[in-house]
Amino acid sequence: MTTTPSTLQEGRLLPSVLLYRLCLPLLCLLFACGLWFSSTPRLAPFAIDHPRDPAALANDAEMLEPLFASDFASSTFQRHVHSSSIAALPDGGLISVWFAGSREGAADVDIRGARFDPASGDWGEEFKLISRATTERVLQRDIRKLGNPVIALAPDNRLWLFYVSVSLGGWAGSAINTIHSDDGGATWSQPRRLITSPFLNISTLVRNPPVFHADGSIGLPIYHEFLGKFAEYLYLCPEGRIIDKFRISRGSHSLQPTVVPLSEDSALALLRNSGVEHGKVLASFTSDRGQTWTDHVPVQPWNPNSAVAAISEGDGDILVVLNDLEDGRFRLTLYHTDASLKDWRKVSVLDEGPLPQEWVTEELFRRELQDSYTAVAEAEEETPAKLQALVQSAEKRGCRGGQRCTFKFEYPTLIRAPNGFFHLVYSWNNTLIKHVVFNSAWVEQQR
Amino acid sequence: MTVGFLFGHLTFALLVFLLIPGVGLAWQLRALLLVAALGLAFVVVDGLSLGDYTRSYTDDLAVTTLLWLVWRSGEKLSGRTLACSKQDWGVVWVFAILALVLYPATLGLTVLDPYRLGFSPAPMLAVLWLLCLWLWWRKYLLALGLICIATGAWLLDVKASDNYWDYLVDPLLGLYCWGALLRLAWQFRRRGDRAVPQSAG
Repeated sequence: MTTTPSTLQEGRLLPSVLLYRLCLPLLCLLFACGLWFSSTPRLAPFAIDHPRDPAALANDAEMLEPLFASDFASSTFQRHVHSSSIAALPDGGLISVWFAGSREGAADVDIRGARFDPASGDWGEEFKLISRATTERVLQRDIRKLGNPVIALAPDNRLWLFYVSVSLGGWAGSAINTIHSDDGGATWSQPRRLITSPFLNISTLVRNPPVFHADGSIGLPIYHEFLGKFAEYLYLCPEGRIIDKFRISRGSHSLQPTVVPLSEDSALALLRNSGVEHGKVLASFTSDRGQTWTDHVPVQPWNPNSAVAAISEGDGDILVVLNDLEDGRFRLTLYHTDASLKDWRKVSVLDEGPLPQEWVTEELFRRELQDSYTAVAEAEEETPAKLQALVQSAEKRGCRGGQRCTFKFEYPTLIRAPNGFFHLVYSWNNTLIKHVVFNSAWVEQQR
Repeated sequence: MTVGFLFGHLTFALLVFLLIPGVGLAWQLRALLLVAALGLAFVVVDGLSLGDYTRSYTDDLAVTTLLWLVWRSGEKLSGRTLACSKQDWGVVWVFAILALVLYPATLGLTVLDPYRLGFSPAPMLAVLWLLCLWLWWRKYLLALGLICIATGAWLLDVKASDNYWDYLVDPLLGLYCWGALLRLAWQFRRRGDRAVPQSAG
């Protein structure tokens, strides 16, 4: 049998027409399936912290007596330490994490941590929690540096750690990674990368701890640094998958949001102001559980483009820790304010350099450093060799040209433990991580 | 379970294959070149394969981009054009528009964040459905196929991302499409006429 060109053409044409027509129902089926499986999430109410029953707290002598104490969570001087975070553990202890290495952004920076033993009342030896090499190996990506660890205990007692890593460029090239622990930090999951940006998944950072919603979902305050600088609210399910993301601010000068739930539906976000001119902390509010936020407005205390920490004290009272300076980070202060952020009151200066100015002489720096360290550290730790190592390490980071030195008390993180105590950690001259604990009675006493 | 780590290796192999000139080579040699590029993607340097390094800097490419690279590689391998220029330009226009909708706003130029639509993409799916119907009606089958396969991949959760956008478009595809459009505009300007453009590739 011979085949003519015309029948051959028809033979080719027929299947292609059929295929073309078959595309339509398949296309409709595909998108119908997509719509079927695409759910629209409803944000659960904020989980408001209820640190023990107020009546029980009122009868607790420990809480009635003003308490303020400080110590150091980190235990070595050699590394540049920065960006600490802290979480209360189910056993009553604490865990603090920070990044440490030869300098910020160096390849040898690890995420390190230490645990506070409630029985002994001491911080244990610091340990390496996760390294750049581990992150690189597990994620199968080139990782140049790590930074900004953030730790928090979820309502289901899962401990979450978020931290940033950079493959290319500076911090604006960051992506967020997460690990978690279901045994109070004894063992940890493998790192997992969060995909938060469509632009090569770069430029999303984390600095302040997440808040939780009533169903266990996680609200992680994050920020974007590439081209624009603005804050966002990442909403994750209790298992850590991203459900949604909301803009807190816009523009090019607000970052490092800290979110404070005020009620089941409302919350406050305080933002670090990185505007060219020295400025004030910025504030934004949500009344729909984090979905929409008001335009940010400056609030009263000065802030020299440095990190801010805040937490609710209950009944609309908010505690804020920040550098209330126009320049430098040589003073860290605890403030009290109300939910409207109109009435600000200085509670106490938590740490401060010896002079009301940023730069001091090397001699004064050494003397003040040793004095303030020995005032906090355990007496048995104050060996001359140790003090010398401390001074050398701090000078490397705080002094320029061996003449001018500056103190740095920065990057605070403030939490309230279930027993009602407030715990604050911050970078102490980039040489140690300082831990401060206080209670509401002490705050009240300062008024 | 995602197959993310293979994205980097495939990206590396296809990009290398497409960037190396293959003019004058027999198809068997071109096939050998592709296999060699794929093998090269698994070569380990300092603990990571070249595919891993590619993934570090490009992140996981969109499914559409990978398919587009596969399509282009198929053309190079076979030595002939597999689709007419209408199909190519359909792809360029569709993904240039998607990139324009996504990137400027997501990077902070507006208060709106279109990227968040991809986390709960019912409205986005509805719009893309309409777009696909139009592409089907106008017979832009290559663009239609890319979007449909990407949507199927999103349904099967083959990438680490939870966002539908990450299956549809990425910066490389956006740059390629906008580069093609700018080149077209430049050609129009130089010729001063409305000649039918050649293939986008």
